[in-house]
Amino acid sequence: MNQFKMILRLAWRNLWRNHRRTLIMIAAIVIGAWSMIFMTALMRGMVDDMVADGISVLPGHVQIHHPDYRDDPTIANVIAPPSGELLEALGGAEVVAWATRVRVPAVISSERDTRGVTLVGIEPLRERDISFVAGDVVEGEFLTSPDDRGLVIGRKLVEKLETGLGKRVVVMSQDQENEIADRGFRIVGIFESKLAQYEEGFVFAGETVVQKLLGVGDQISEVAILGSDYRNVETLFRSIEAAAGDGVETLPWNEIDSYLGSMLAVMDGFVIVFIVVVFLALSFGLVNTLVMAVFERVREIGLMLALGMTPRSILGQIVTESVLLLIIGLVIGNVAAIATIEPLKDGIDVSIVGEGMEMMGASSVLYPALYLKDIVMANLIVIILGFFASLSPAWRASKYDPIRAITKV
Amino acid sequence: MKSVTCKQLCKTYHQGEVEVIGLDHVDLEINEGGFVCLSAPSGGGKTTLLNAIGGLDTPDSGKIWLAGERIDTLGKGELANMRLHRIGFVFQAYNLIPVLTARENIEFVMEVQGVPADEREKRSTAILREVGLEGLGDRRPAQMSGGQQQRVAVARAIVSKPALVLADEPTANLDSHTAEQLMELFVELNEHHGTTFVIATHDQRVMRYAKRVIHMLDGKVVDDERRDVA
Amino acid sequence: MSNITFRLAWRNLWRRKRRTWLTVGAMVFSNIILVFLISMQLGMYAMMIENTLRAQTGHLQVQAPGYKDDLKMRQVVPDVIDLAAKLRSEIGSDEIAARASAFALVSSEERSYGLQISGVEPEFETRVSSLPGLVTEGRFLEDAMAEEIVIGSVLARNLRTGLGDELTIIGSGRDGSFAAAVVTVVGVFESGMPDMDRGFAEVPLGFFQDTFYMEGAGHSVVVMAPTLIQVGALGGRVESLLPAGEGLVVHNWDVLLPGLKQAIQADFVSAWFMYGILIILVAFSVLNTQLMSVLERTKEFGITMSLGVTPGRLGRLVLLESGLMGSLGLLLGIVFGGALVAWLGHTGFTYPGLEEMAGQFNLPGRIYPQFSAIGLLMGPMIVLLASVTASIYPAVRLHWLEPVAAMRAAE
Repeated sequence: MNQFKMILRLAWRNLWRNHRRTLIMIAAIVIGAWSMIFMTALMRGMVDDMVADGISVLPGHVQIHHPDYRDDPTIANVIAPPSGELLEALGGAEVVAWATRVRVPAVISSERDTRGVTLVGIEPLRERDISFVAGDVVEGEFLTSPDDRGLVIGRKLVEKLETGLGKRVVVMSQDQENEIADRGFRIVGIFESKLAQYEEGFVFAGETVVQKLLGVGDQISEVAILGSDYRNVETLFRSIEAAAGDGVETLPWNEIDSYLGSMLAVMDGFVIVFIVVVFLALSFGLVNTLVMAVFERVREIGLMLALGMTPRSILGQIVTESVLLLIIGLVIGNVAAIATIEPLKDGIDVSIVGEGMEMMGASSVLYPALYLKDIVMANLIVIILGFFASLSPAWRASKYDPIRAITKV
Repeated sequence: MKSVTCKQLCKTYHQGEVEVIGLDHVDLEINEGGFVCLSAPSGGGKTTLLNAIGGLDTPDSGKIWLAGERIDTLGKGELANMRLHRIGFVFQAYNLIPVLTARENIEFVMEVQGVPADEREKRSTAILREVGLEGLGDRRPAQMSGGQQQRVAVARAIVSKPALVLADEPTANLDSHTAEQLMELFVELNEHHGTTFVIATHDQRVMRYAKRVIHMLDGKVVDDERRDVA
Repeated sequence: MSNITFRLAWRNLWRRKRRTWLTVGAMVFSNIILVFLISMQLGMYAMMIENTLRAQTGHLQVQAPGYKDDLKMRQVVPDVIDLAAKLRSEIGSDEIAARASAFALVSSEERSYGLQISGVEPEFETRVSSLPGLVTEGRFLEDAMAEEIVIGSVLARNLRTGLGDELTIIGSGRDGSFAAAVVTVVGVFESGMPDMDRGFAEVPLGFFQDTFYMEGAGHSVVVMAPTLIQVGALGGRVESLLPAGEGLVVHNWDVLLPGLKQAIQADFVSAWFMYGILIILVAFSVLNTQLMSVLERTKEFGITMSLGVTPGRLGRLVLLESGLMGSLGLLLGIVFGGALVAWLGHTGFTYPGLEEMAGQFNLPGRIYPQFSAIGLLMGPMIVLLASVTASIYPAVRLHWLEPVAAMRAAE
């Protein structure tokens, strides 16, 4: 213990013998650590946002469909509403909310124009807890019941159709007998979404009204189920799948939207690659600093060896010096990263490339997401790899022959 | 014409908290073609005076002229230019650039002066012969003896035929034989080219060659002895 | 820079071999990563642009003002077939074709879908679009007036229809009146782009005009340039050839598909954040090395200055040393990075999950980095520049060096 204290003291003092070099190295570590954490937070924030939006707009964490629905999303592929065992499972603790929907392709016409859309029949009260529409109605009102005869459509679609609140539109789809079914709706609500695609492509009506229009009785297209954490849907998925039985297809969100699912997985890998790459760029400087520090002190190290210090304590001293350097840099880097992320918590406006972000499925405001897990990982990677990187110069120093080292000019 | 004129030069150093007097109201005139030794014990002020004359160090007060031109008021760049073209320096430790060969060390100064390559080559070959290092031009400093290195340093100092050569303990690390050879080289340059030499030394082997010996103590000139060369 | 100074700088580098190699190593490492990633990005962007433009908008489009935002039936280009013919002959290129487009409900016996139907000139569409080449079943359209349709593979499956089957099209015409027609499926295409395969169909332009009461009008003339770089100039030329008084406009691809360009920009900017960090870290490495190297040589610099060499000249020597290190890093970085790019350009590059993500941008699951001068040089050049810039501080410090004090410094 005493020896460790002495090594620590020696390492600390040696660090400040050449304060310029030490400060430059610390600055490099600070920038490295800052960039690791900052960049990770930005990327996490973007992906979280994409996934959260994607989930809130469409799937829910787990969905139940007719086995053919995903391939052929029409009114032909409907299932019975949840009952029995499934209904029980939906009441379980892991389910935060659930709702049924009838979802079919349709054509909507105003007096001025015609568009292809997805018509979604919803249970307004249940849907409120799951998808975005309820909170985002900016004009008029959200639907009140499955029997509500109004229609809620997106702002962009309203503009394209040159229609407005209170006006009538005609929605055309196909019923179960493959006959064209159409019906006039009054627009009762207009919503806005972060993703223009949804504002343009989806219209919402009462579930019962749509069922009647399409002649499917009480049958539905899907059951959407929301759990507490989208990152961990496995348990929820398993219990629902078991309860739903074999006649239907039960899927977690990351299989329904493989783009979002793979995005999340790829990002996990990318974060580690980024941290390691930055560390490697840093490691050259770190090793260099240690090599220089050792080189300058050849005689001194020889003297210590001659005085009876063990090669192991020499090794320990150099490695301690390196670890001290890393710790100082990391502490400042962490603080700097948190200090830069904190004021950005309200979002970074990237609307200048908004449509590009949308193409990636992200919104035009970035919310950095700082995870303890990422911070710990970045720091651990730097300390552990840094430790190994400093072994080589330290090892060389401990192998000096004392006599030759002392006499070296 | 005076080569060097100093009036009332003063210079004080701080070594930690102690004030050290380097120069204390020094008046001095050295004629062109002079061969002068500055003799003083360690700390007597001879190196300080030499540095002041060479424009390496600025005095706290007093005036210095070189060949009639006032230099204590010049800027750093002008001083550098003056040293480059008019003064040759020889130091106690040979002070060569370790990564350059003997020839390259000599040519480096000429290159900075802007001497064309073929001219540099010609002059460095000639000067190497003159200082007795013919055939050793491609050696690096670490591959040469102390005497050889000092001769390279001298060659570097005199290659562009400066009017004034300032030497600080040039023989300190040399054996007698080499020291004598070096002094004879200086004398020859002094007699044939009229080069003025100011040599700070307390080496009797050097002072034997001097036409004039100025004794200093604690930054003051205490004796000015003109003599015929032995 | 003259010979001896150059030699001096070079030899100074090798006084501390290990230090120099570590510094150069940092450069080479960063340069390889930069060369690889930038070449990769360039390859990806080129493919994204080319695939998307070939499949969708083309490089340029002549449209009625406002059409690109509103896509209204009535925002037309009058006499669109004649205009396309005129542009073809004036410009001397076949890669120009007229189009019209409408939303319609397409029904088979069993199913109906609302989708976008394009009217195209069969003869010229093959020159501007990749779609005709992607027909995997049957054939592309041939006759401008035929009652025929080509549909996406997913749509065909969803409609439960196939070659030779009849489809009913119901929509509204240019004047808002009811438009309907019956067409025969002659071809099915598979683009690999989910949106296209699920919701896109093409019919002959003449037939389209009759069905939707277009009165000879269309919605756009699509123009392809030989290369992306020539798009701007070609746009000007097309603009000058437009009939006066009709208020038609020419849009470049980046206006037609702002998302594509912005996705590239967003990706580019975020990538450069990472590059910037790498470059800064290299710069710090160089700064540290050169500062140490200058401090070590204090005495030597003192002597050199006493010989009359100015601090500025010594500063330039320091910058030259960094420049040499940087050039070495550049050279090795380009060699190794270039080899990596050349190899991957041959075998392609992929990682788990890439395929799913790439589909979003009309990319295949395997990416081939682009072997180009700009991809090879851009990163390493900036690293070189940053290295030299980083040594400005140690170089400038020499101005404060006092020769007398410097010569007294310990070696």
